[in-house]
Amino acid sequence: MSDLLQQMPDQGGPAQPLLSVRGLVKHFTRRATLPWRPGTTVRAVDGVSFDLMKGETLGIVGESGCGKSTTSRLIMALMTPTGGEVVFDGQHVGPTGLPLKEYRRQVQMVFQDSYASLNPRLTVEESIAFAPRVHGLVRDTSITRARELLEAVGLAPAQFARRYPHELSGGQRQRINIARALALRPRLVILDEPVSALDKSVEAQVLNLLVDLKSAFDLSYLFISHDLNVVQFISDRLLVMYLGQVVEIGPVDTIYAAAAHPYTAALLDSRPSMDPGQRRMEPPLTGDPPNPVNPPPGCRFHPRCAQAEPVCSVRVPALAGLANSHAAACLMAEPGSGHSRAAGLAA
Amino acid sequence: METLVHARDLHVRFVTRDRTVHAVNGVDFDVAAGEVLCILGESGSGKSVTLRALMGLNPPRRTVVTGTLRVAGHDLLTASERQLEQIRGRMVSMIFQEPMTALDPVFSIGRQITETVKRHEGISQAEADRRALDLLELVQIPSAKQRLSAYPHELSGGLRQRAMIAIALSCRPKLLLADEPTTALDATVQIQILLLLRRLQQELGMGVVFVTHDLGVAGEVSDRIAVMYAGRFVEAGPVAQVMRSPLHPYAKGLLGATVHAGLRGTRLTTIRGTPPDLEHLPAGCAFAPRCDLAGTACLEAVPDLRGPAADHQARCIRVAGAPETVGMAIADTGARNAEPGTVRPSS
Repeated sequence: MSDLLQQMPDQGGPAQPLLSVRGLVKHFTRRATLPWRPGTTVRAVDGVSFDLMKGETLGIVGESGCGKSTTSRLIMALMTPTGGEVVFDGQHVGPTGLPLKEYRRQVQMVFQDSYASLNPRLTVEESIAFAPRVHGLVRDTSITRARELLEAVGLAPAQFARRYPHELSGGQRQRINIARALALRPRLVILDEPVSALDKSVEAQVLNLLVDLKSAFDLSYLFISHDLNVVQFISDRLLVMYLGQVVEIGPVDTIYAAAAHPYTAALLDSRPSMDPGQRRMEPPLTGDPPNPVNPPPGCRFHPRCAQAEPVCSVRVPALAGLANSHAAACLMAEPGSGHSRAAGLAA
Repeated sequence: METLVHARDLHVRFVTRDRTVHAVNGVDFDVAAGEVLCILGESGSGKSVTLRALMGLNPPRRTVVTGTLRVAGHDLLTASERQLEQIRGRMVSMIFQEPMTALDPVFSIGRQITETVKRHEGISQAEADRRALDLLELVQIPSAKQRLSAYPHELSGGLRQRAMIAIALSCRPKLLLADEPTTALDATVQIQILLLLRRLQQELGMGVVFVTHDLGVAGEVSDRIAVMYAGRFVEAGPVAQVMRSPLHPYAKGLLGATVHAGLRGTRLTTIRGTPPDLEHLPAGCAFAPRCDLAGTACLEAVPDLRGPAADHQARCIRVAGAPETVGMAIADTGARNAEPGTVRPSS
């Protein structure tokens, strides 16, 4: 199985998206706690569609509970979706198309909690060599590979290969997780808050490493984070989620220069200013993100939106395309929607 | 008249049979009434231990505290547990990072507030109830009256943190300690809580010591910043000076490593290596092993504080009041909106 040392070949050429997510839905049903009470349904992910092109980094941002982590787990096939499909390089993922074992060779994931995601009873090199061995690589080759990967993530194999996770710092453990994700030579790596638990100086080291590895290993990234500065640094395109839905998607520079959705604008304004002479005076949003059990009707953001009008509580905005592959789900961006600020309103 | 907090040569060691951890190694600072001091540092720098020392919260049997530490005229190091109880709540109180673990899950929010005020001020239940309602309104919890009977698990993260602030303020403390109070919150909620704390601090005229690892958060709330490394303040100064022209190589590194807008496509500056082991501190500058500018003199003795102005100094032998830094410091003083700081290193 020497082909395990190689990345799987490209199928559909550069124009075909590496990953296509079509109408992904995940509802969690909670049984009633008391027999006379109705059960509840959490609409964690409610119709998410996007494409991830080859070689790009797509950032996903949103508040806690917006469904960004659930989306990543659905893409990774760690849970079964209620609806929708995932297409990887033209092939439908599932028993009828691309088998899971083949799919997971090409898509790997790094989690936020660097300690919980490593087996505490395996040494670092065994952890990294584990997946290649599952896929049939012999022990010696897989250990050699693991040591090469340790080198690639900046940890000296002689010093670190035989250590256990508890003997490492948070930043070192996250490097191990990254090395393990690369062990099968994947084409796509899903990074779910990979630097959120790290100190700032270590965060910068790991971000630099991720940028280096992306070109060295010819990767595409799906980068999930709640830190808008980190996402701006690493991503080419940005996807903003709110209550299980996509509210805005587009190139990072376009969105950071002029966000089309009021929620995105509020998220961007919520960042500390970094200039003590120009402090924020008013919070851009009041209140916490609402509960996805009972999402508001119409536009899900309208109860917190400063520009909401009566039409927003009735009409559900579609993801309307703006210029330059930029789209937003807001009635103000939808011509003729009935919102007074909507562009192209029939005069 | 003495300042609210007066700390001189404060040392905190944790001693067990096997080892001694030197968590805080000689810290000097003052906090005036109405002033916000931010202690900025990474995990393991001793910032939380310093904060807990201000309330006598470090585990009594294993902790050795030496030096001078007075809060509002009370000597915390010689105070009995009984005297500490008088100081806690009325003089000093603290808000913690994780409201869900800091609040008691089996009592309602209102009960937790009334318990505190009745215990410390000996007032009637009816009066305590009124006070609790006032406090929830003070921290801007919507429909405060109903929320009094809510349990912590029924509240969102932002509301829980507001409830914890209400409890901390319930006995009108002169000094509020905040240990990373917004780290567990979403960005949109974080900015709300920061602005709330800033407003309450100004309205109530409290002194605040705020511990954070996030430079942006420090910039939003503080008058003065103290950068902590390996249990020492390596730099202290007015917020604008520290953020615009840091003196110490570690402070510079931290500023460079903080991801902010406009860095895409560039390499983030990182600080190589890892923080020192607090069991075996080096004799000289603790940052020297990671510092690009370190020379032999750095390894001999811990550098004294020095700097361009009496209120902006760093523990680095390379800092000698360089002319351009002096110019900036003077120019900035007029622009500062804060009161003149009093975190003056004693020499």
